Amino acid sequence: MAYQIIVLAKQMPDLELIKPDPNTGEPVLKGVSLKFETLSKNATEAAIRIKEKYGGKVTVITYGNETATQVIKEAYAMGADEGFLLTGYPGNNPMNTASVLAEKIKKIPHDIILLGNQSADSYTGLLPGMLSSLLGETLLGSAVSIELKDRIVEVLKVLDTNNEKIQATLPVIVSVTQEINEPRLPPVMQILAAGRKPINTEKISAAGQYSRVISNRAPKSERKRLIFEDVDKGVPEVAKAMKEAMR
Amino acid sequence: MITLAYSDSPDIGSQIITKFREFGDVAVLSSSGNKDVFARYGPVSMHIFSEEENSEVVSAHMISVINNGRFDLIAIGSTVIGREVAGIISAATKMNAMAEISEIKIENGKAVTKRFYYGGKTLLEEESDAKIFTVSPGITEPREATSEPSVHELDPSTGKIKLLEKIEKKSSEENIEKASVIVSVGRGLGNKDGIQKVEPLAKMLNGVIAGSRPVCLDYQWLSEEKQVGLSGKKVRPKLYVALGISGQIQHIAGMRGSRVVVAVNKDKSAPIFEESDYGIVGDLYQVVPKLIEALKN
Ligand SMILES: Cc1cc2nc3c(=O)[nH]c(=O)nc-3n(C[C@H](O)[C@H](O)[C@H](O)COP(=O)(O)OP(=O)(O)OC[C@H]3O[C@@H](n4cnc5c(N)ncnc54)[C@H](O)[C@@H]3O)c2cc1C
Ligand SMILES: Nc1ncnc2c1ncn2[C@@H]1O[C@H](COP(=O)(O)O)[C@@H](O)[C@H]1O
Repeated sequence: MAYQIIVLAKQMPDLELIKPDPNTGEPVLKGVSLKFETLSKNATEAAIRIKEKYGGKVTVITYGNETATQVIKEAYAMGADEGFLLTGYPGNNPMNTASVLAEKIKKIPHDIILLGNQSADSYTGLLPGMLSSLLGETLLGSAVSIELKDRIVEVLKVLDTNNEKIQATLPVIVSVTQEINEPRLPPVMQILAAGRKPINTEKISAAGQYSRVISNRAPKSERKRLIFEDVDKGVPEVAKAMKEAMR
Repeated sequence: MITLAYSDSPDIGSQIITKFREFGDVAVLSSSGNKDVFARYGPVSMHIFSEEENSEVVSAHMISVINNGRFDLIAIGSTVIGREVAGIISAATKMNAMAEISEIKIENGKAVTKRFYYGGKTLLEEESDAKIFTVSPGITEPREATSEPSVHELDPSTGKIKLLEKIEKKSSEENIEKASVIVSVGRGLGNKDGIQKVEPLAKMLNGVIAGSRPVCLDYQWLSEEKQVGLSGKKVRPKLYVALGISGQIQHIAGMRGSRVVVAVNKDKSAPIFEESDYGIVGDLYQVVPKLIEALKN
């Protein structure tokens, strides 16, 4: 049986490149490159593997800004068939993101929706539950494996104190963890082809924010940073410091 | 203010009830398994269900409790189930949710909260009209209180998710959150046998072994509750020794509270050195035995 798969993917700043402003401690985002959000990529890989195994179609939806065409192109290169870019993203507001995505999803026939269980930058983890409620579809969350048999889905769910094998009937929403797969690096030919594939873009009018930022700072790091490149010089010094630290 | 609190974790649940009692009364939604624990922390009422705990069942119960009562705040422990429940409840009740908070106060009827942002790179302080919160572990020390809560048994609900099998995780007794010395290993260890090579160092320091996410989840060289980081445990030992850990921000978010940090990594540009007091650039398999020797003296 072939499946209609929707995957939700977003863009994020390259977190390792964000440095705090030395005076204010606020993150400097200027010049920081954007990339495919980590968990979104795992979700995309999972979607494509389902298509490869059972047949079907993968549609990727991104709610972001014009720069996020990059995400759709990368998803195409990985094997996605169709992409929708919803622009006019007003910033992190889970309820708004969920309603905008849900409205779009309702217009696309689907059996299974894939997304990350908790995004690497904003880290809210609210979207899977919100979409489940807005769409009235069962949520199988934090999956590390997904098996399909006709209309039955089986997922291995990773919880905090135990794991569960759970089952439901399509349509379902599956949120994935980082451990589900190792996303592929698409070959150059596919990357080139993806660049020519059309992207459907729709502008969404901005919603308000429900929160006001009081401050956003990197916690102060006052580490000594005494780094020894010569092991034999470093060992005695570091051993001494370790003994002192334990007092 | 009245809070409705829920967690599938007895630890986080006890912390939440304690914390939100600062703002008024706390009603608790609980599985029958956790009810005796939660009752010790001073709730005014207990709403108890006895089905298998999953986000579908819990959300259905929570919505019915919310519809039959008056609650100003909903506090949910940030676990896999808790985050799913918070999302479902938020969309169903149209109340905004604030995720993963590590601090909260109420000022002029608004919530002022803190949470990690950019994967743990920054701490974001916000004022919001959110009514639903997922609460990170460690929001406060649980304090017992006496109360005589009213007890309500909830009618069983049915869901669409079928549980086929419950797989217990192997777990160990050691609690890394309370350890005063931690020797933490990363992917640089290369293989599971490497654990035995670093254990003598941990023993010598009277410390416990912990690890990065790949070591605990992907490879399972260590059990999952040994994971340090944003999605693992937040630790604050006197001494944190990071061996073969690159120091990605999600790892730093879990060990930033350590008093002294020592790192061994063969790559001198590894970000862990930015977060270290002392570092040695080298192969951990050569450095660790030398450290052990030096500590003997
Ligand atoms: C949403 C989200 C949440 C996450 N939560 C967590 C979390 O809670 N905890 C966590 O740890 N990660 C977390 N991660 C993953 C994190 O991004 C990194 O992938 C992870 O921390 C890397 O682990 P590592 O340092 O062990 O491995 P690597 O990044 O692969 O680093 C291995 C290091 O070992 C060094 N090395 C190799 N061989 C040797 C040797 N012989 N001697 C000395 N050094 C050597 C290498 O130079 C390298 O620096 C999360 C990611 C996401 C997206
Ligand atoms: N703006 C967005 N557009 C598309 N997908 C998104 C967006 N925000 C979040 N997602 C998806 O939802 C997952 C969980 O995000 P969150 O609930 O914000 O932690 C991410 O890993 C993505 O798969």
